[in-house]
Amino acid sequence: MRLWLAKILALITGLLILALAVLFALLQNS
Amino acid sequence: MKYILHGIFWIGLYLLLVLAPLFVLILAPAPPGNGFVHDLSMALGFAGAAMMAVMFVLTARFKRATAPFGIDLIYYFHRQIALVALLFVVAHPVLLLMNDPGLWPYLHPAVSPLYLDAGVGSLLALLALVGASLWRKRFGIHYDGWRLWHVILAIVSLPLAIYHIRGFGYYVNMPWKHGLWTLIPLSCLLIVLYVRLLKPAQLRRHPYRVTAVQQERGDAWTLTLRPDGHAGFTFEPGQFAWLTLWHSPFALKEHPFSIASSAEESPQIRFTIKELGDFTRRIGTVQPDQLAYVDAPYGAFSIDRLQAPGYVFIAGGIGIVPIVSMLRTLADRRDRRPLLLFYGYSSWERLTLREDLEALQQRLDLKVVYVLGEPHAGWTGETGMLTTDLLARHLPPEKTELEYLICGPVPMIHAVERSLSVCGISLMRIHSELFDLV
Repeated sequence: MRLWLAKILALITGLLILALAVLFALLQNS
Repeated sequence: MKYILHGIFWIGLYLLLVLAPLFVLILAPAPPGNGFVHDLSMALGFAGAAMMAVMFVLTARFKRATAPFGIDLIYYFHRQIALVALLFVVAHPVLLLMNDPGLWPYLHPAVSPLYLDAGVGSLLALLALVGASLWRKRFGIHYDGWRLWHVILAIVSLPLAIYHIRGFGYYVNMPWKHGLWTLIPLSCLLIVLYVRLLKPAQLRRHPYRVTAVQQERGDAWTLTLRPDGHAGFTFEPGQFAWLTLWHSPFALKEHPFSIASSAEESPQIRFTIKELGDFTRRIGTVQPDQLAYVDAPYGAFSIDRLQAPGYVFIAGGIGIVPIVSMLRTLADRRDRRPLLLFYGYSSWERLTLREDLEALQQRLDLKVVYVLGEPHAGWTGETGMLTTDLLARHLPPEKTELEYLICGPVPMIHAVERSLSVCGISLMRIHSELFDLV
């Protein structure tokens, strides 16, 4: 359970970062 | 509830720290873009550097921040998130070079600017650091050596990355952004000073003395320690400590071990340690009256955090130690709740702390199910692995109301968690302690 929580948090963090990075690239080039 | 709220706060703070540079990129005025892939690469580079910086906070063992999770989980998360960070850091140059192959010649050392060399150096240090951590045992790297180089490579990698960012300068073109990327490494430097100098100095002022060294079954030893000139610490049964023997606390030679003694027995503490590696193979040579340093308590694996009408403990090998601490504490507290212990080990003769468990059965409402991997002739008990069928045979009818505590190797924890789930146990009632992470 705890291990999955850690994995899910790592995944969410990664996806959030990726989403913000894509948003930044889109805004810069819109 | 207190730990849940604290946990949510610290996770929120972590996300804020990691995402802050991206929010700055998005919200603050920026120079014109250079194409989608180029700017995506830049954003991933910034994010990777921020994640590297926050690793220093994650691994600094701040007791208040780690208490809701248990530091074993923090290190597990550190390992997972490091892979994500590495992915972003690697994606940064890969995307840039794919987007504009004309950049390749700039990588030649003869013409590359210093900030580019710094970026390459940072990436190589990070690759070495992660590679050595993932495959330490396969490469036969000594734990102490690995740990020293882990710290050195981390301390080298981050300033190189920051120099790379500031040297390129395109998206840190304002004084306050420069300030932000100065503040980040300075904060990390302060954390390093705290972890490597201030904390060891505190430990050295609060030493322990070994009062007894006792051999146990299964190549294990029990060390008994008493605080020397101070009051020691209190702990929750099941927690663990970083123990330094033969060296000063400044030497980076500390190793994590579960506390084996009862929480009611403090300030005296006992560790039962199995001979598994270079450090632990020397445990038997520890002498009474020898100095030791104990950084504790850590961990969230404890009955004191779980209210229940009874507990089920599942131990693999030396994973029995924190569970014995909990059982000893329950016995000292004259607790009469029903307890069930599954204890998997290779053989009857090697069952560490077997006699202690038998004595505890006299003081507790405790049933022990031994599961032997290599049973001797005439053994009529359970054998093999801790399977779903085996667990189901012994779990009591009120199994869904109990709390489950598992300690052992990671594959065993995963397997037992799956089995308990099949048996109808809520994941919220299953708690595990990790060791042997690196």
